[in-house]
Parts: sequence; structure tokens; C-alpha cells
Amino acid sequence: MLIVDKEGILIRYNVKMEKSMTPEEAAAELYPKEELYKPIAEAIFEGEEDDVIEGLEAAIAAGKDPIALIDDALMVGMKVVTDLYDQGVIFLPNVMMSADAMLEGIEFCKSQSTETPVQKGKVICMVAEGDVHDIGKSIVAALLRANGYEVIDLGRDVPSAEALAAVKEHKPLMMTGTALMTTTMYAFKEVNDLLVESGITMPFACGGGAVNQDFVSTYSLGVYGEEAADAPKMADAILAGADVAALRAKFHNH
Amino acid sequence: MAINRFTTMAYSEADEMVFGHAKKPVKAGLDLEIGAGYTTAEVNYAPRPEAGESMEKLVNEYQRITKDIMARMVQVGFPSVVLETEHVQQMTNNPSWGAAVAHAQKTIMEEYHEEYGIKCALRHTPGDIREHKEFMDLRGDKMGVVMESFEQIAESGADLLSIESMGGKEIFDYAVLRNDVPGMLYAIGCLGTMDMDYLWQEISSVAQKKGVVSAGDTDCAQANTAMFIAGGLLDKNLAHTLAILARAISAPRSLAAYEAGAVGPGKDCGYENIIVKAISGMPMSFEGKTSTCAHSDVMGNLIMQCCDLWSNESVEYHGEFGGTTVQCWSESLNYDCALMNTALKSGNEKILRDLLMASDRFRDPQSYVLAYDNAYAVGEAIVKDGEDIFLRAKNAAIACCDTLNNSEGLEMTKFELGALAKATAELDAITSESETFMSECMERFKAEVPVFKPENYAL
Repeated sequence: MLIVDKEGILIRYNVKMEKSMTPEEAAAELYPKEELYKPIAEAIFEGEEDDVIEGLEAAIAAGKDPIALIDDALMVGMKVVTDLYDQGVIFLPNVMMSADAMLEGIEFCKSQSTETPVQKGKVICMVAEGDVHDIGKSIVAALLRANGYEVIDLGRDVPSAEALAAVKEHKPLMMTGTALMTTTMYAFKEVNDLLVESGITMPFACGGGAVNQDFVSTYSLGVYGEEAADAPKMADAILAGADVAALRAKFHNH
Repeated sequence: MAINRFTTMAYSEADEMVFGHAKKPVKAGLDLEIGAGYTTAEVNYAPRPEAGESMEKLVNEYQRITKDIMARMVQVGFPSVVLETEHVQQMTNNPSWGAAVAHAQKTIMEEYHEEYGIKCALRHTPGDIREHKEFMDLRGDKMGVVMESFEQIAESGADLLSIESMGGKEIFDYAVLRNDVPGMLYAIGCLGTMDMDYLWQEISSVAQKKGVVSAGDTDCAQANTAMFIAGGLLDKNLAHTLAILARAISAPRSLAAYEAGAVGPGKDCGYENIIVKAISGMPMSFEGKTSTCAHSDVMGNLIMQCCDLWSNESVEYHGEFGGTTVQCWSESLNYDCALMNTALKSGNEKILRDLLMASDRFRDPQSYVLAYDNAYAVGEAIVKDGEDIFLRAKNAAIACCDTLNNSEGLEMTKFELGALAKATAELDAITSESETFMSECMERFKAEVPVFKPENYAL
């Protein structure tokens, strides 16, 4: 069997570029210094739900307000995770596990108070009608939640009329659509037309499988997302005042 | 049909395997023989988005696609071709639509065969529509629609029947995003195989009744999802060591089609097919460097090493400078095949096979394990406990980890090595008792994954 020296054939750039710091070391530099918050942030990073609750109980017992803990400890811990993911220091499964732990922490905080926490904004997530592939949508939803957005998850195979009704009811700052096939992604156009007929100008961020920038650019509210991680960045941009044109200028890279 | 598990390898050693030759070649369509000493291009395509609006539009689109491909084959002088139509959901949900498309395509292919003698066959791949909005419903009413689709396309001209089945995906999607190796093992190896056993007995029965070829499945829904999420070398969505672990576990799952009566050629996007070929001896389709129209991978040359059909995965039908997309990609595929066939004719096939393999062997943990010698070793681990669907999947996973842990010349990142070490430790800790594993997973995932319905697997 022929085995050839790979020199000149292959460079594993990822091995060459690897950072010397471990994810744990990188995270340690970012944890909050406050004694009661740090264990919560660490537990979020580790994705350990039980430890998150334990940390929250200790903080509440020490007099911290449960709802304030969402912003002061849970979201701070989650930001460590999302920042390190953005920097390429940790992988998506770490974010998913941390998001699970954070959401459980938020539910616990809510159960300890009569107040309702304020979130950054609402985003609706849907999979195109006729399409049952929803792993992309699940990743988008998790990343949005991890970044402090309330997600209205319409699930998969969502009829266009249902998407319109949800937008009218929830008035989100953005809707996301994912699809795997060229024929199912055509449903995005229908959704777009229904929204436009109703006078809605909210950005409709679409991506997944066969979806491409050229297609998404053919309908007026469409913004193409190449990666799931673009979704929270788009939501942040909208909060900062970006409209469809501004989002296209920022996220349409091809 | 009965299930006959593989407990031995079809090939006595890895070096016996080459492209264009399968231990059990299969005749299909119009004078075509697959794995009988030559390779053939398999062209796959997707209609433009608006074509799905009506049956007439779809049929018209597929007629154009078929004419374009057949005409280009003749213009450039290629001896054989396979066309694969992966159903858009409208075609499977309305079996008469799929049948109308198959009939229209086969009519054109017959005309070209009659006039020019070109060997050709038509593969149809209905969508796995066995689900409702919220849940998979693998054994419910939609199963009847899928089987009706198979019946109708077989009657209308399809020569090869395939599907990309979804069994286990509800657990897999949850597990893969949480680095959960036991969950992946349960989803692909156990639930996936159980669904394959159920589904492929039915498909093979239809194929036998209609006199066409029951051609195999692929773990696209799971192993390809992992590969796609893992992405390129700089992506940080999933460790590539976990992606190849999912792939290794997918081999015994895809093997189940042949245990239930399928005879190949296996579906193009089954990168696990090299392992399946080593065990079953059936011909296989593969995709790699000539499928970059559909996706990127890290084994574009290597994966051609032992192909019998060579595919472009899928390309949207539209115009390019060189013609329509299907013309351009079918031409590229066939030049690849011409090279392989020249190697076969001149007795240089093992040299070309090894050049293809060696050029990507160290590119990634995925290509390293799928290099034919390492893939063969994974196959041996599978047949060792071939009768036990859990144990053979676990063996495949352990063999994959062993291959990577003992690799020579393969560079891996700290992330990949970390994920590999975690997976190796988790596999070491998993029971070897099938019933214990199955019952523990059932309880755990019933609690953790709300959309998991054990009745889909007769559990």
C-alpha cells in the first residue's frame, strides 16, 4: 500500500494555528470575580445543571435577587461560553450544553420570584413548510437563547399562514427560517409575500442546506445567514438599529 | 423477507478491494452492470425551486434535466450513466407525481439507449416522509404512502430503489449536539438498524415483485449531519473525531439494508459505504471531489478509492457557461470514470486507488479511518459480533477510536484529541450487555427527548 509523506500536499492549518491556552484556562480569565457569581458561571461553562442550581440557591440564600441573578450571573456565565465559541476556542456542543444549563437556571430563578425577567427581544424560529429537517433551526434557537433572546419556536414544516399569524401575535424583532431543499426553501418567498402584504418590514433571516444568498436576495425581507452563529449577531444589529438593507450589507458576503 | 446478518467479510483482505469491481456485481436498467469491471457516473440533480409548484412543472423540469444529461453523454462519448432522482417531498407525498417523473425520464433514456446503445439506469430515491409535524411516525400511515411511491416508481421506470431513512434521528440530533457518544450509539446503531430492518424488508419485497433492484440506504440523516456540522478544518461546531465516530457507527446501520434483501449499489452520500462494501461485497456509489457543487468534505480523492458508481451528490438545475449544471457535472464525473476505467483496462487500478487514498489519508481523522485498510479493520470489528446490532455498532466505534489512537502520521488538534479521549473513555464504560444498554437508553431518552416515541421501533 502506498503511503506518501504529506509535506507539500496537505497543511492542517487548524493544528498549526492552535492556541496554547486550554478552553478551561481561557474561561478562567473571563469568569466574574464576585464570589457568589463565579461558581454559577463556572457551572454554566461546564454545562452542569445541578451545580448551576446549587450556585443560585447559595446566592439567593445570601440575599441576591433571583431575577437580578439572571443578568448578573447566568448571562455573564453564558457570555463566557459564547465569546469563546466566537473566538474558536470551544465547540458548538459546549454551547448547547451550557445553554441547557443556563435555561434551567433561568427557570429556577423565575420560580423563586413573582417578577418577570426582561429579555433582549423576541425572535421567531421556523422550518419551511414541507421540510422536517430541524437540527439547523434547533442550533439557531439555542444560540439566540444563549445570547439572551426569547425564542418563539414554531417547529418544523410550518405553513406560511401560521408563520404570519405568529409574527402578528408576537411582534418579534426578527424571524429565522431554515430549509434543506431547494423546493422547500421556496416557501420562504410565500412567507415573505404574506408579511409584506400585511405591511410588516421585519427582517426574515434564512439559511440552511441548499439555501443560498442569491435566492434569499430575491425577496424583500430576506437576509441570508451563512452560519447559525450569525443569527444572534443579526438580532444584536437590529437592536442597534439595522434594517434589512443594513443587515444585507453586513451579512451578505458573496 | 428474512434478515440475514453478515458475520464474515466478503473480501479476504483490504487490498482485494478496488474501484469498478464488486464481489457481487448487479445488473440494472438498460444493459448496465455495476461493479462488474468498470465504473459509471451517477448524476444527481435538484429542480429549480419554482418547479415544485405543480406536477406538470416538475415533470417538465426532469425531462429537460434527463435530455441534457443524455445528450451530453453522447456528445462527449461516454459509454454508461446512471441518473438519480432524489424525490422532492411533493413527489413522494403524491406517488403519482414520482411515477410520472420516472416514466418521463425512462422514456428519454430508452430513446438514447435505443439510438446510441448507451448503458444506463434510473435510480429513484423517495423521501422518508414517515413523520408528522411534531413526531416521527415510522410505522404509521405515511409508511403506506412511501411504499405506494416505491410501487409506482418501480412500475413506471425506476431501475434502482433507494431511500435515506430517518430512523433514530430524533435521538441523534439531541445527542450529537451534546457530545453524547452513548446517545449516538443508541440512535444510529440500535434504533437506526431496527428501522432499517423494518423498512428494507418491505422495499426489497417491492423490488423483487416488480423485477427491479433494491439498492440500499445511507445514513445521511445522521452521519452526514455530523460531517456537515463538523465542516472544514477551521470550523468549531463539532470535533471531526466525533464526526468519524458517527460514521463508523453508521456502517452496521447501512449494512442492514443488504441484510434485508438489498443488493446495491449503495447510495452515493454514504461515506460509510467503503466499510459496507468490505463486508457485503455489494457495489457502492460514492461522492467526493466531484460533489463540491453540493457540499465540501475532507476526502475528495480518497473516497473514490473503491467506488463502483461516482456521483456529484446533487446540483440545482440552472445554466452555467459550459451548459446546464447537469451537463457540466455529468461530464466531470465521466472524465473521472474514464480515468478509473483506463486504470482498470491497463492493470493499474491499484496504483490509482492508492494515489487517490494517499493524497487524502492524513487530511482529517475522517479520511484516515475511511482509508480502505482502516475501513476494512472497522468492518472486521463489525462482523465479529454481526448478529448483535448493539455490540457490532459498539465494536465499530471502538475500532474507530483504536484506529485514531494508534494512528501514524495523522495530526489532530487538541480539540479532536480531547473529544477522542472522552469518547474512548465513554465507550470503555458502556456495558457489553445489549439488553441492559437498550433498556437504560430507552428510559433515559424517554425522559430527555420529548419527541422520542419507542413505538416507532416496536419497543
